[in-house]
Amino acid sequence: MPLLETRALNKRFGGLHVTNNVDLALEVGQVHCLIGPNGAGKSTLFRLILGEHPPSSGAILFAGEDITALKPFQRIRRGMSVKFQVPGIFKALSVRQNLEIAMQHHYDPATLREEIGALLDFLNLTADAGRLAGNLSHGQKQWLEIGMAVSLKPRLLLLDEPTAGMSPEETHATGEMVKRLNAEGMTVLAVEHDMAFVRQVADQVTVLHLGKVFAQGTIDAIVADERVAAIYLGQATAQEAAHDTSHAQTGGVHA
Amino acid sequence: MDVGTLAFSALYQFGDAFAFLVLSACGLAVIFGMMGVINLAHGEFIMCGAYVTVSAAHAGVPLPLAILLGAVVSGLVGAVVEIVVIRHLYDRPLDTIVATWGLSLIGTQGTLILLGSTMAGVGTPFGSFSVGGYSYSVYRLVLFVMAVVVLGGLYALFNWTRFGVMARATIQVPHMAAALGVDTRLVYSLTFALGAGLAGLAGGLYAPTMTLVPTMGTTFIMEAFVTVVVGGADVFLGTAPAAALLAVVKATMTSWYGQLFGQIGLLVAVIIVIRVLPRGISGLLLRERA
Amino acid sequence: MNALTRFFRRLEGPQTLGRGPLFWLGFVVAVACAMAYPLVSDGYTVGNTVYFFTWIFMALGLCLIWGYGGSLSFGQTAFFGIAGYSYGILTINFGAAYGFTFIALVFAVMLAALFAALIGYFLFFGRISGVFLGIVTLSVTLVLERFMAQTAGPEWKIGSARLNGFNGMSNMPPLTLPWPGGDIVLFPDVELYYVVLAMLVVIYLALRILVNSRFGNVLVAIRENPERAEMLGYDIRKYQLGTFVIGAALAGLSGVLYTSWGQYITPSSMGMTAAALPIVWVAVGGRSDLTTTLIGTVTVLAVFQALTIHGSQYALVVMGAMLVLTVLLAPSGLIFALARLVARPFAKRQPGDV
Repeated sequence: MPLLETRALNKRFGGLHVTNNVDLALEVGQVHCLIGPNGAGKSTLFRLILGEHPPSSGAILFAGEDITALKPFQRIRRGMSVKFQVPGIFKALSVRQNLEIAMQHHYDPATLREEIGALLDFLNLTADAGRLAGNLSHGQKQWLEIGMAVSLKPRLLLLDEPTAGMSPEETHATGEMVKRLNAEGMTVLAVEHDMAFVRQVADQVTVLHLGKVFAQGTIDAIVADERVAAIYLGQATAQEAAHDTSHAQTGGVHA
Repeated sequence: MDVGTLAFSALYQFGDAFAFLVLSACGLAVIFGMMGVINLAHGEFIMCGAYVTVSAAHAGVPLPLAILLGAVVSGLVGAVVEIVVIRHLYDRPLDTIVATWGLSLIGTQGTLILLGSTMAGVGTPFGSFSVGGYSYSVYRLVLFVMAVVVLGGLYALFNWTRFGVMARATIQVPHMAAALGVDTRLVYSLTFALGAGLAGLAGGLYAPTMTLVPTMGTTFIMEAFVTVVVGGADVFLGTAPAAALLAVVKATMTSWYGQLFGQIGLLVAVIIVIRVLPRGISGLLLRERA
Repeated sequence: MNALTRFFRRLEGPQTLGRGPLFWLGFVVAVACAMAYPLVSDGYTVGNTVYFFTWIFMALGLCLIWGYGGSLSFGQTAFFGIAGYSYGILTINFGAAYGFTFIALVFAVMLAALFAALIGYFLFFGRISGVFLGIVTLSVTLVLERFMAQTAGPEWKIGSARLNGFNGMSNMPPLTLPWPGGDIVLFPDVELYYVVLAMLVVIYLALRILVNSRFGNVLVAIRENPERAEMLGYDIRKYQLGTFVIGAALAGLSGVLYTSWGQYITPSSMGMTAAALPIVWVAVGGRSDLTTTLIGTVTVLAVFQALTIHGSQYALVVMGAMLVLTVLLAPSGLIFALARLVARPFAKRQPGDV
């Protein structure tokens, strides 16, 4: 049984079909990357999985259970966790407090401190534990948020462009983090642009294009697929236009 | 009472309530819709319009001109307030509300100090007419017409004028509008002044129907709040239909149980509506687009 | 470390200014001074000081909802009024014997909390936040004011308690402590002072513990980033509702104490001007911290009292100006800004500190 499954998932914003009959299945233990040109509907699909938007039709299953009607926090409690594209950290609180808020319900107070310490190490943030999260560098903010998501010990970790804005070194370190988490048994679904990162971590790749599943396979198969190359190459002209209209009509929803 | 007079009475009540809601709320709605700010001194701008109107009328200015003067003075005061206070708080909309509440306190109590606890009013013009043995005020019909005129005027302003286009560009993508050479600060100042001026107009229009006291703004402000909450951020797709809906509730409750229950009915309606439609009516109407 | 010491360790934490021996020494000195105050003053002045104290509970409640939770509740006076009127109605009907006034206090506060739970359910579960929350709560208190103002007629009575419309209710018995050898009636004098002071100390410390607890952590998380808090698995609506109810209960406590203090309550205690005052106290002091809210409230009330000699409308103009200036010049609050200057004893304790 797949850990996460979407069945004939559709989302329309007005006349725009942002998610078009998407069937996706994530096996336990996989690192699955979602790629596609701008405006392909990656972020919308993410928000549907998280329950931030209701789908127009279709179903979402988590570990066999239909979660289509559940609220976001209920999905989180069933074992999902998310890192947003724009870091969603508590900027006015310290790094340690950010993690404490994320973890306090999962550990008893006696072990909480140690667990936070271990996670800080994992994130390379031990030296910055007392700093305000808003004062971290961009890459560190991304890591902190990954840490908050990971601290829930989710079965499924959702990463929306985890390396956006990172240097190549930071991107590589992030990839290593993801691989370690995966080795500990975490299933990962990541939206990512950076192909080096995808190559580093992904077992399986799904290409979205204009809201539809365009291709699926291993990274090598995808790279070899000429049709995929074509949509990426063709996007400079046609896709830009499509992206612009989608932006205007969806009122800022990043599609 | 036969069916015809009953229908007229119901329609009259509805029109009266609709006019009150639209005129009370449109100034607040313009500022909220354009700037995301709730102006808690809204009631004081209404009071300002009423006081100026009545003072001018006492000085011999014809009433329509006096009302216009009330609106203009309120608008100017609004422009000053925008430049001195609001402008510095654009990135902190919630603080703006708190600051305007401070202005509201200053306005009410300052008026009390300067002008005393009450001011002699002017009588309601035009007298009354009767339908089926019941007497109705002509001026209330004028108010209804004015409410429709204000809505039409705003529609024309925002759709057909240069200012309207610039204002809409500014709310949608402020930095883009700025990059295209729109003076966004000026747009915000003018928008706030427009909202304050509309509040003053409401005050001027209703001045002949009520006693003038420094706290008269609170008579309007609850209705203005609920209309904006139910309507959401769009004046035409929000305020107008919200006012129509709430006017039905208010007129019904008022004719059955009296003025106060009209207001309680409004509040209950609002609380239920926002439970169902968190983004108000305009949110519902715009959802297919959003 | 056992559970009890962990509980008391929450008196200090990342959510409250003030830590370490110096701070707590200052706290003890302040409480001692407050306790000694009646010795160097007369009963009448002490009674007037209690009047200040009665408001602080409402301010602390607003600090919790607004400063910590980030929800704009502009209608705290609604709960103040409901509890005040309830206390009046209950005690006028049932008298003050057998300590009933304190039972009435509890009932009145519970009624205010219940009302808040009802309103709060619709607001928070309807996902109302920000601006709209502020104006709906404000509308609630304005409607209540108008409702009470029109209850002048003789038909508006509950049991033997006339509501009395705009003139308000009066002559309810003050809080009365049952005591062997004769009840102690708590008129605005030294006895009431000590009772209210004790309540104040207990509630201040309890709130410190609350905001430094897990509950408080989630609360500030919601203020900082509600979406992220929800994505950590918290049902933020329940936290917001819980906070709103606690804040309302504290406003209710203020309402009861005020009503008992003056044996008097009027609809205008729920009006636009009355509703603005808690905002002024909390904003000027520094809404994001309990201690600065407390100090700010006492300070602003003292200034207000001093100005009222020249007429309350002048004092209110100054309050309005103070609010505008605070928002423009010291958005986090004047006392808060000062406390940050004084620094270390007022620093917040980070969870990693030992």
